[in-house]
Amino acid sequence: MTRRPPPPRDPARRAVVTGLGAITPIGNDVATFWANLLAGVSGVGPITQFDASAEEVRIAAEVKDFEPRDWIEFKQARRMSRFAQLAVAAARQAIDDSGLEIGDHNRDDIAVVVNTGGGGIGEVAIGQQTFLEQGGRRVSPFMVPMLSPSMAAAQISIQNRIRGPVITSVAACASGVQAFIEAQRMIEHGDVDVVIAGGTESAILPVAFAALSNMGALSKRNHEPEKASRPFEADRDGFVFGEAAAVMVVESAQHAVTRGATILGEIAGGALTGDAFHISAPDPSGYGATLAMQRALRDAHFEMESVDYVVAHGTSTPLNDATETRAIRAAFGAHADRLAVSSNKSMIGHTLGAAGAVSGMVAILAIRDGIVPPTINYEAPDPACDLDYVPNISRHMSVNVAIANGFGFGGQNAVSVLSRYAG
Amino acid sequence: MTDRRVVVTGMGIVSPVGIGSEATWDALTAGRSGIADITLFDSAAFEIHVAGEVKGFDASEFMDPKDARRHDRNTHFAVAATGEALRDAGLMGDNGLVSGDVDADRFGMVFGTGIGGIGLMLEGHKILLERGPRRVSPFMLPHMLPDSASGQVAIQYGLRGPNMAVVSACATGGHAIGEAMEAIVRDQANIMLGAGTEAPLVPLAFAGFGQMRALGTPKDPDSGEYSAPMASRPFDATRDGFVVAEGSAVLVLEELSHALARGVGPIAEVIGYGSSADAYDMAAPAERGEGNQRAMRAALARAGISPEAVDYINAHGTSTPLNDRYETMAIREVFGDHADRLAVSSTKSMTGHAMGAAGAIEAYVCVRAITTSCIPPTINYRHPDPELTLDYVPNQARAAKVNVALSNSMGLGGHNSSVIFRRYEN
Repeated sequence: MTRRPPPPRDPARRAVVTGLGAITPIGNDVATFWANLLAGVSGVGPITQFDASAEEVRIAAEVKDFEPRDWIEFKQARRMSRFAQLAVAAARQAIDDSGLEIGDHNRDDIAVVVNTGGGGIGEVAIGQQTFLEQGGRRVSPFMVPMLSPSMAAAQISIQNRIRGPVITSVAACASGVQAFIEAQRMIEHGDVDVVIAGGTESAILPVAFAALSNMGALSKRNHEPEKASRPFEADRDGFVFGEAAAVMVVESAQHAVTRGATILGEIAGGALTGDAFHISAPDPSGYGATLAMQRALRDAHFEMESVDYVVAHGTSTPLNDATETRAIRAAFGAHADRLAVSSNKSMIGHTLGAAGAVSGMVAILAIRDGIVPPTINYEAPDPACDLDYVPNISRHMSVNVAIANGFGFGGQNAVSVLSRYAG
Repeated sequence: MTDRRVVVTGMGIVSPVGIGSEATWDALTAGRSGIADITLFDSAAFEIHVAGEVKGFDASEFMDPKDARRHDRNTHFAVAATGEALRDAGLMGDNGLVSGDVDADRFGMVFGTGIGGIGLMLEGHKILLERGPRRVSPFMLPHMLPDSASGQVAIQYGLRGPNMAVVSACATGGHAIGEAMEAIVRDQANIMLGAGTEAPLVPLAFAGFGQMRALGTPKDPDSGEYSAPMASRPFDATRDGFVVAEGSAVLVLEELSHALARGVGPIAEVIGYGSSADAYDMAAPAERGEGNQRAMRAALARAGISPEAVDYINAHGTSTPLNDRYETMAIREVFGDHADRLAVSSTKSMTGHAMGAAGAIEAYVCVRAITTSCIPPTINYRHPDPELTLDYVPNQARAAKVNVALSNSMGLGGHNSSVIFRRYEN
């Protein structure tokens, strides 16, 4: 930590959050999602999107009752993979929430950064089945443009006629957090005034379940789905695969103030690091994660002690939760015991490329409302996980500074710092 | 704003015309095509079965054979190209890891790809359909993601700085280099790989592109005889589609003072990056290349140079009727009269279209054009299209001093990226 701190930020170019949108397993709008998250409602249940009776794992955190036509013109919706549909809907909500009007005066100065883990992997599966069973001539001409991971961001751009930079980056399960880091940089740097930023994932597919469950990554608690995701708890046995999209409107403070928008919070900084360790396991020392947390706070000009709340990656796998705990301890020292640390994955499962975006949104909502959602299913403590995980019941507390953690397969670590905007 | 300058200090490439920087450059300047009949799978059932395959590539020369078996071909290419780039930049340590002389925590990458490990994913899905879920490999998932290559490159060489993959279909390579440059300018890192990799040569992709009617016909347009290399003929009046290709290219981007301090001579400087969206259609480009125009203008503005300063444009030039027409219009709109003084060539005439790797491969071409004062041609150019009237450097490489080169990349969904390189001068 010998490097000099970053130069102070231009106040006008600080990145503030003015709108939120979400499609999640516990609510298809932000208000419902947040109420259920605070109430400790699990969105995990038996898989309904395909016949999972032959699978070793038969539970998931699915989005329920999502009707694409509520958000997207019917014909266009049919040519959009579900991960893109969820993202377009969440972006619509976020833009409406922010009161941002998009027109010829500003459409070139708005960017879209919406990340994903697997993109339109479902279209690949459908296309291949058609190909194997019926031959190449029956493969849809829309398959290629539907499957590309960049299509959620592209469709948000097309549906809203946004013409600035449109970027999709993939850092596995760190993708969602990475979007906020990128958004903050673009605003600070003056590339654009507004960024539609977030993450999306929808891959409730036989091939994904087969692969994840054969890795031993998924919880096998088929008999009590709502209890399957138990981050940091002694009996955790893997994560629950989920789907979601979460999108924020991020803009320069000056832009938000000038147009009289309500500022919900600020993206104060962030950092990315690589473990350079293993393609699926985290570095057990947690070094890369520790480094990301420290660098993110330095980037945001905050002392480690100013952090109130950690929105944990908290996947409910034996390895992640112990490693993350160790990394938080290494990063925060004695202050670690004063942190509230909770995992929304206890309720919505692990939504991979969307997970970090959901976590960033949770941080903003906690700052806004002065309440921290719980880690549910927390029954027996694990000696390797000894932080305050806000067990089972949400907690009223003032949150000025929060961090959202996202750690991905391959050792990508992303940490975003979100804070109360003080003007 | 900072004044951190970003220079290229090393390059590596695996392409359909050669493995390695020298082999690739020899082929490109000689106008040799890498497009041939598909050998990677039985393509007899396809109407069009030519591709830009990387030939004679053995992954086990570049990584542990056990690792290689678990990884997708796009990761193999990425690892191989990165190794060459690190050696070229003087950054390879004795133990196969990055040299201990630089801070690995400040050395990251943006490694782009269009689709990542689609080969592994399809293999897994076939097993699922034929033999059931319990037979799917536990290694499939972490090895098939779009960021699996960037993860493995970091692991194999010990690079622990900012690490991600960007995806913007065929605009990916340009975005990867631009975003890597920005990470250095913003002081997130001292060294970044700006790179792309792709291995899309699977039957399903051919079926999908075939159904889109996007692929070029492997036929000599004059004699009517079958000819694989003739399938890609950018800017030619008879062009009728692109050729799918594979490969990877890696540029080592480094903050100037960092490079000078370790005694390395910069190869070229990255001075501009522009990115835009058409916001128009999922498959077709916007009329008159409107989005491409904005990306080029943004890159020129970022570089702080006038359009007249540009000598060479490495075109996206896919060989589809619409792309080449609109890209030509966009260049005319942005460059005005200077458009007639530009050399514009399409590397895809020789390599085919390597999707998410294309922009990185073509960035490599821009840098080599600057350092060697030689512009590779657009081959298979025989029939001028009356509407397409730029100087496409037809068929023969050209000796010309190139101070500033711009690379264009555009992708399905309306993504556009432009990157500008300049001869390094103190």
